[in-house]
Amino acid sequence: MISIPGLYNRFDMSDFHNRSQVSARRSDYIWQYEYYDDEEPVSFDGLKAHRYSIVIGFWVGLAVFVIFMFFVLTLLTKTGGPHQENPDSVEKHQRPEGRLVEINGHLEENDKAFSRPLLEGSRSYFNFYISEEDQAQEKQKPEDKKRSTKVIAGRHLCSSEIDEMDEDNEESGGHQPLNGLTENSMTDRECAFMSHFNIPNFVNLDQSSTLGEDDLLYEPSVVLERQSQAYNAHRDTH
Amino acid sequence: MNNTAMNQTDCPEVKVPFPVFFTVGIVSLAENLLVVVAVIRTRNLHSPMYCFMCSLAAFNTIASLSKTWENLMIVFADVGHLKKRGPTETDLDDVMDSLLCMSFVGSISSFLAIAVDRYITIFHALRYHNIMTMQRTGAILGLIWTLCAVLAVLMVKFSDSYFIIICFIVFFIISLAAICFLYVYMFMMARIHARNIARRWGSNMRGALTLTILFGAFVVCWAPFFVHLIIIMVCPLNPYCECYRSLFQLHVVLMMSHALIDPAIYAFRMAELRHTFRKRLFCLKWKL
Repeated sequence: MISIPGLYNRFDMSDFHNRSQVSARRSDYIWQYEYYDDEEPVSFDGLKAHRYSIVIGFWVGLAVFVIFMFFVLTLLTKTGGPHQENPDSVEKHQRPEGRLVEINGHLEENDKAFSRPLLEGSRSYFNFYISEEDQAQEKQKPEDKKRSTKVIAGRHLCSSEIDEMDEDNEESGGHQPLNGLTENSMTDRECAFMSHFNIPNFVNLDQSSTLGEDDLLYEPSVVLERQSQAYNAHRDTH
Repeated sequence: MNNTAMNQTDCPEVKVPFPVFFTVGIVSLAENLLVVVAVIRTRNLHSPMYCFMCSLAAFNTIASLSKTWENLMIVFADVGHLKKRGPTETDLDDVMDSLLCMSFVGSISSFLAIAVDRYITIFHALRYHNIMTMQRTGAILGLIWTLCAVLAVLMVKFSDSYFIIICFIVFFIISLAAICFLYVYMFMMARIHARNIARRWGSNMRGALTLTILFGAFVVCWAPFFVHLIIIMVCPLNPYCECYRSLFQLHVVLMMSHALIDPAIYAFRMAELRHTFRKRLFCLKWKL
């Protein structure tokens, strides 16, 4: 009894000669498939296609699949996927300044810890969690509140597009207590994850980015650098 | 079918030289052990994501270890130091097969866990701390390890049964589909969000490339072995299938090399882990 076929052929070569009288029924073949090379000499006469055609077909199919997946992903970057209409229609109704004001309003209400939601359609859902988080924060100690604020801010650091958040994060980063190391690592990890996983890396922007949106944009890589430096300074002193 | 034609197969088994097996095994063992030790010994890295990566690295370590050990045994058996069909050897074979099965199932489960963790990080960011507590992470990891151990023992004990192999294949396909769906969904949502800010071709391409590498490596390294299992069940007598089966050792090397590249794809991309390594190496240099 073996579980990995093929590998044990060399073990069974010597035993095969003793068992050559055994006729190979299909069920026996399956159960004792370590003999497949020896007891069942497969006839190679009259092959229509190349004998490695399955191998070639498999690898070609795999390569096509991977390349297809890559092209689908790059296509998605161009078209934005099935939810394209919602964000665009929302954008049409709001000017950049209006959006900034709205988010400012959010900031004032919600302790400056939130960015635009990931899904435009789930704005109310997001607000629900903002207020939930607010209530949770009120019950916590000030340390925890600062920590969770920083966590939220840090988590959205990598996805934010607002200058105020940058300042907030720098402040909270500067005031970060050393005992919040887990959360420190969490936010740094999140930022590292975001930037290195590259999935929500939508804030990697040049200084010479598109017109009219410079007000909303900032360089998260710079902020990440600053934050990681602050974190490293904390960690080194720890 | 006459037995005299047994040596006339046109598709001889492709043998991979032992040094290749050993190199791949030992390098992947070293890498994954490094990751495991770094995550366990650094308190900063005791977070759910790193726990899942540590679990993945541990499974890869077990896989490399057992595969290298198996190769050692084969070398000794070929040379003649070991009996090929002795009772201890067969028992050891079974143990190693169980460990291999366990590590395969465990790697796939860890990938799934990492994908789910990333999904929750992105889409339930505010509640992430409540959803993914360390206790829950520990429970999930305990469940994964227990399940893998049980499955491994079952698979080896009943390896001659169709049912187990089918379960294995179905598990692989379902995990593949789940991981694919999670990552593509995350990618789509991230791209939508990115579009609203600016269009940057470079970063989008990088994201697409990352995902392709992540998923492509998984598929390229694991699929050949599973197609091998399918072919054993479906067409054992077909000459074309036999030619596919003759490449078995290559497929095993591919699976081992996945354990080799996993740390590069998952663990070493995390800046914090790299920083930890650098710090430790620096400390080591200072001590020396």
